[in-house]
Amino acid sequence: MSSAAGAGRDGAVPPEDGRRAAPGGAALRRSGALLGLVAAALVASGALLAVGLRGPAAPTTLGQRVQAVASGLRCPVCEDLSVADSPSALAGQMRASIAADLRRGMGPAEVRRQFVQAYGPWILLTPPRRGLALVAWLAPLGLFLAGLLLAAAAVRRWLRGSTPRPASAGTSPAPLPAADRALLERALAAAEDE
Amino acid sequence: MSARSAAERHPSSLGGGARRRARPLALATVVVAVGLLAALFAFGLGRNPDVVQPVLVGRAAPAFTLARVGGGAPVSLSSLRGQVVVVNFWASWCTDCRVEQPALASLWSSFRDRGVVLLGVSFQDPASSALEYLRSSGSSWPSLADPGSRTALAYGVTGVPETFVVAPDGRIAAKFIGPVSYGQVADTVTRLLPGGA
Repeated sequence: MSSAAGAGRDGAVPPEDGRRAAPGGAALRRSGALLGLVAAALVASGALLAVGLRGPAAPTTLGQRVQAVASGLRCPVCEDLSVADSPSALAGQMRASIAADLRRGMGPAEVRRQFVQAYGPWILLTPPRRGLALVAWLAPLGLFLAGLLLAAAAVRRWLRGSTPRPASAGTSPAPLPAADRALLERALAAAEDE
Repeated sequence: MSARSAAERHPSSLGGGARRRARPLALATVVVAVGLLAALFAFGLGRNPDVVQPVLVGRAAPAFTLARVGGGAPVSLSSLRGQVVVVNFWASWCTDCRVEQPALASLWSSFRDRGVVLLGVSFQDPASSALEYLRSSGSSWPSLADPGSRTALAYGVTGVPETFVVAPDGRIAAKFIGPVSYGQVADTVTRLLPGGA
């Protein structure tokens, strides 16, 4: 029993169920794993996309609404800080101004538009979805699609490389009948023992 | 066993042709990507990110009604329609504001009789400090308090001093960031006065 198991491990005796029979088996297992990986990546991307499109939950309290507007505005007297994050006095006054406008019934878009009218689109932390700034929105999507195409091409090449080729076309052997394989492997084992 | 593994790991030369065909495509992709990046950098390097276009110039000046620093009747911009109004945002803690003080004083003395109004707007300054500054600097034009910086925010102020020239039709004719010189403002004001160039 132990010797049979050892022989099995060495590959000298083919198991009866033919698990190690064809080189195509490994390729199949590899393609299966690869397909699983691709499926998992697709599911994860889909989930990320859904979360990204849905965005954060809508703010409910006045404080949250102020925070939502302020976090999209650049603090005019800081280096790359949002009005929500800046400790400067002007940012504090901007938050107070946003709160007063929201309390008066203005919508977040209208409040933002007021600041854009005074400071220009520069005051927005996110670029507008038009003109040249559209590149900032479309470039990541383009890069993602290009990456997807590259990955698909790489997977295709990998799968093609792992399939067994006909004996006449290359160096790797065509699948052997089980009896021939047993003979060959016994001979190889004998050669290794020497 | 090892020979067989080696054979399996050594798949084929079939991909070689495809790889050879793919080479010009990969090269073209890299060239296009590098070209796009270079164009983007050339565009970005040709612009100064610190220069912010004054968006309010040419538009209606935001209205305000503000109380004077130290008391007195409030001043409303709309009541000055038909006159050239120079609005100067300043603070007692701002050294550049002291630098431009003589230019503003000259402007006020030269143009006040020609219907030009100079208004100071105190920016993020406690009333006592602002009042003390006005006394020590000897400025005789009206200065207004701006609680909560609501007016400064409406004018898109990013720091002091900033000076706006409002035309008689209520539109902003010019915006100056930093200390002004007499010539800069006088030229703009003269152009806006009746009979100006």
